[in-house]
Amino acid sequence: MSLLFRNRSVEKGASNRGRLPWWRRAIMVPVHHAQQAVASLGELWRNPFASLMTMAVLGLSLTLPSSLYVLVKNTSSITDSWQQASEITLFLKKDLKTSEIETFKTQTSLSDKVESVRWVPKDEGLEQFKEQSGFGETLDYLSNNPLPDVLVVIPAENYRAAEQAEALLLEFQNKREVEHAKLDIEWLNRLQAILDLIEDTLGALALVLCLSVVLIVGNTIRLNILSKRDEIVIMKLVGATNAFIQRPFLYTGAWYGFIGGIFAWVVTLLLIWWIESAVLTVTNLYDSQFQLDGLTFGELIAIWVIAIGLGLTGSYLAVRRHIQSIEPE
Amino acid sequence: MIRFEQVSKTYPGGHQALSHVDFHVKPGEMAFLTGHSGAGKSTLLKLISLMERPTAGRVLINGHDLRKIKPSQVPYVRRDIGMIFQDHRLLMDKTVFDNVALPLIIEGYSVQEARKRVLAALEKVGLADKVKHYPQMLSGGEQQRVGIARAIVTKPPLLLADEPTGNLDPKLSMEIIRLFEEFNKVGVAVLIATHDLGLIARLRYRTLTLKDGRMINDGLEDNEL
Repeated sequence: MSLLFRNRSVEKGASNRGRLPWWRRAIMVPVHHAQQAVASLGELWRNPFASLMTMAVLGLSLTLPSSLYVLVKNTSSITDSWQQASEITLFLKKDLKTSEIETFKTQTSLSDKVESVRWVPKDEGLEQFKEQSGFGETLDYLSNNPLPDVLVVIPAENYRAAEQAEALLLEFQNKREVEHAKLDIEWLNRLQAILDLIEDTLGALALVLCLSVVLIVGNTIRLNILSKRDEIVIMKLVGATNAFIQRPFLYTGAWYGFIGGIFAWVVTLLLIWWIESAVLTVTNLYDSQFQLDGLTFGELIAIWVIAIGLGLTGSYLAVRRHIQSIEPE
Repeated sequence: MIRFEQVSKTYPGGHQALSHVDFHVKPGEMAFLTGHSGAGKSTLLKLISLMERPTAGRVLINGHDLRKIKPSQVPYVRRDIGMIFQDHRLLMDKTVFDNVALPLIIEGYSVQEARKRVLAALEKVGLADKVKHYPQMLSGGEQQRVGIARAIVTKPPLLLADEPTGNLDPKLSMEIIRLFEEFNKVGVAVLIATHDLGLIARLRYRTLTLKDGRMINDGLEDNEL
């Protein structure tokens, strides 16, 4: 493209640059990009220590949010299963006859909001209490059984979530036969609130860390640009556009993200593996089956994309600011 | 080719480098620009290559008013002008080949496509055998010739040289000037800024003389005006 000499290619003694057909130029665009990407990688190799430091910072900064993410994800999946299993305990009035209890139990179990009902007669309740509380023989001194008959109601599938279960609880509370109905949902709500808090904190933390990654990459690229000041001036003198000069720096930023992302994977997976053995020890003590979910393939790719995005953003900010300001004098 | 109309340039701080400069260099002409240090030679060249903008007046190249050139278009203007510097401004960590190929790569040529033209340009300046050398391995005169090869590799219609012989002995200086003459013969307009009056005296080319920012002699005989 010639601005001043529109007919330059036919001028005597002038160039025959118009000879490159458009399709050759179109093919050259991706080829050039690939060449510059590789060239930027080569540039990184020439200064491996500084580059590795930046990549490590980027990777480590992403490791913290991603491993916290894994923890939150696992906690959520546990509490989800707890929410599902919510039971409603109905303490029945003491003056009910056995037949009345039978009727009430049948009545309750016929409701389509209820999946199953289990009757725990008061004597059985006392036996259980003796066994589990550890008071044992001491309870024999009681002159009469202070415990009421209990119906344990497991709500139908659609009524297990916190809100629906609460509505169901109210319904039972108003029944004539029921002295007191109890749904142990309060602590679930608290747990949920704590989880929400952790999730929000995690979000804020991730945001701050991402911001710092952008600044760190930006600063590294800024130093790169300043150390190549003379080269940039010369390129501008022979007619390089800002876009042309910027490209290798943008690629450098993308490479930081690319390799920093892999770094984040490795460290996160190591951390999860490390934590997993500790978690297994704990869950074994509780005699429960628990499998720590790691990162899925999609999540790994997401971390990678975020890392590359951050690297690019950082370098873009530096490049925009500094390439323009360097002018030949 | 190059036309200055009442061009003045005052730098921030009040130093007036050029005042009311008028001249015209025709297409295919070769001319020297001379004057003492600080007379405004470099400023004048910078106004042509858009490294500076005039405070008043206008500069035209090939009839195009440079005031109308937006910052984003500046690179494209520079591609039409081959520039040669006293300190040659080569990339020291790149080979001679890469240095000369730079303007072509910037224009979107692949290395393979650029090769032929780079070799031709180096052939012209007599450095075909130094393709793989780095600038530090070359003498001052050779480095300057690499700079010239880079300026002409895109075959621009206009060459600007700022003290191209500044660091060279008279014999080498003459060789460089002979190179410019060769390009001039194929129709390239050449403007050479130099304070080497001895060199100018030996050649019969138009000489524009600046003194304290004023054009005291535009090198044209009265009967040519």
